[in-house]
Amino acid sequence: MVRKRSVWKTASFYTLVGLLVIFVFYPFAWMLTISFRYNIDALKSGFFQKFTLNQYEELFGLKQSIRQKLSDEQKELYNLAQTLPKSQREAVLKKIYKEQRKSQFPFLTYFKNSLFLAGLAAFLSLIVSILGAYSFSRIRYPGRGTIQRGVLLVYLFGGTILMVPLYQIFAKIGMTSNPNLAMLSLLIIYMLQTLPVSLYMLGNYFRTIPYSIEEAAIIDGCTRVGAIWRIVVPLSLPAIVTVYIYAFMIGWNEYLFASIFIRPFPGYYTLPVGLSELFNSQHAIWAKMMAASVITAVPVVVLFMAMEKYLTAGFTAGGVKE
Amino acid sequence: MKSYPVGTLERKTVILGWKLIAPTVIIISLLILYPAVYNIYLSFFKVSLNPAIPNQFVGLKNYFGILSDPAFWRSFWVTIAFTLITVIGSMLLGLGVAIMMNRNFYGRSAVRALILLPYVTPLISSVFAWKYIFLPLNGPLVQFLASLHLMNPGTDIINNPNNAFIVVSFFNIWRNFPFVYLMILAKLQSIPSSLYEAAEMDGANWWRKFMSVTLPELYFVIASVALLRGIWNFYKFDEVYLLSKFAGTLPIYIYDTAFAGIPHQGIAASAATILFAVMIGLITVYVKRVLKW
Repeated sequence: MVRKRSVWKTASFYTLVGLLVIFVFYPFAWMLTISFRYNIDALKSGFFQKFTLNQYEELFGLKQSIRQKLSDEQKELYNLAQTLPKSQREAVLKKIYKEQRKSQFPFLTYFKNSLFLAGLAAFLSLIVSILGAYSFSRIRYPGRGTIQRGVLLVYLFGGTILMVPLYQIFAKIGMTSNPNLAMLSLLIIYMLQTLPVSLYMLGNYFRTIPYSIEEAAIIDGCTRVGAIWRIVVPLSLPAIVTVYIYAFMIGWNEYLFASIFIRPFPGYYTLPVGLSELFNSQHAIWAKMMAASVITAVPVVVLFMAMEKYLTAGFTAGGVKE
Repeated sequence: MKSYPVGTLERKTVILGWKLIAPTVIIISLLILYPAVYNIYLSFFKVSLNPAIPNQFVGLKNYFGILSDPAFWRSFWVTIAFTLITVIGSMLLGLGVAIMMNRNFYGRSAVRALILLPYVTPLISSVFAWKYIFLPLNGPLVQFLASLHLMNPGTDIINNPNNAFIVVSFFNIWRNFPFVYLMILAKLQSIPSSLYEAAEMDGANWWRKFMSVTLPELYFVIASVALLRGIWNFYKFDEVYLLSKFAGTLPIYIYDTAFAGIPHQGIAASAATILFAVMIGLITVYVKRVLKW
């Protein structure tokens, strides 16, 4: 389409684009700039204040925050401990360290918990959905259409509908009383939530792989199941990575079920639960909250930008669920 | 009736198909279909949280209790309004941005990547950024709006039950319009340019082409994406609750009833059942009227 545009039209178009960029990026810009501030500057109104990496260093445990530094009482105890015999000294030191740990901002723990849950749930969901998607995109059998539509119906049952019954079911079989079992319940629920997207996206992709390649492998003596792992999976690698990242993002974001199941076990908090609890606690210092937000966002945003082409294609291929 | 193969090899294949889909079917029926039915069952009981005490059957009492609770009705209408505002808002914004991005301009690929940020960034991060910019007195957006005399800098709009719902709706639109934009842009790019050329031959101007070519071509995508967004926003819990616990939509009502203070899970289950029934009703009407299936 070749068309003459007046300077005025072009200028107003770019203004529009500029406004859009500001609209989208405004909150992030503030998040970034606050995360590089000292605590006392956190609420100052200029966009740029004195620069520091303090918040990040404290979150990663490279530097102790003021709270973590020994209190006078602890210092005294510490000095006292040096004069005690070895066995007693260790007991006292342990006690001091334990108390110190209590006052730490346990960001890295939350980060690890989230990474573990989201990473593993996405992986499990990927395995189940590779098999399932292969089944309904490649094999003809009675009942296939019903199952395919059934998977779509899952869209109608959000977490809002399922929170009470799922909690009741897991509580009945005793999975809410112990932190490890609560984590396992969450793992199962996250896998469940990511399953429909994975099935749908993978099914769509598998249909684009010509069956003749598989057939050739089977003729060469490969079993049908072997052909899935040796032929279909390697050929669908971009789709599989896309689905994995997408499923990972769902787990990384999940708040509802995490807040229900692991509320009593602070050591097992995921990032969304941990950070929102911290927000209401003594640790709520804006600069630190913002640095924590940036670190939470970075892995996902980097993954996404690296895979942008595939991911946007994946979104629009139809299989999307929040 | 379709005919299915009966030979032994084919039979084996059919069995393999069932085996491969079995884990999916088991997981979905055990953890989605069964709980959905169990939820209806629970809604007729006074649910006890102590496993030693059995649930007590109360018939329709939970339903009568809820339907005569003004807080429920308030939440109900807030949810309907929230869904309408966010769906219409994100559809319009998404459509506008898709049309903008369908043009070639300097820096387009960078802008395209940037636009996806709200949708991709973990919810909890965006929520804190929004809470910060809306801080009373110190929040940069509050200061900016106050300098334009659009608001009083001292008001805490996020934690005020009267306004919270508006901020939450804005947040939802901001966060979800990229999804709408992506879906519409994909369709926009597949409209054959011959249609536009034909319209130009007939002397159509920009507006005319938009109304007679673009919109009809996009109708189905817009209608389906609006349906998806409607379903998701109707059930939306985390985005609303994390930004403001005072927004008062129905999912928050259910969550608070079931898990905060003294839990009344039977009542929460009946509220969830009502929500689900309303949802199915709305979807049925929508699918018949708008999607014309």
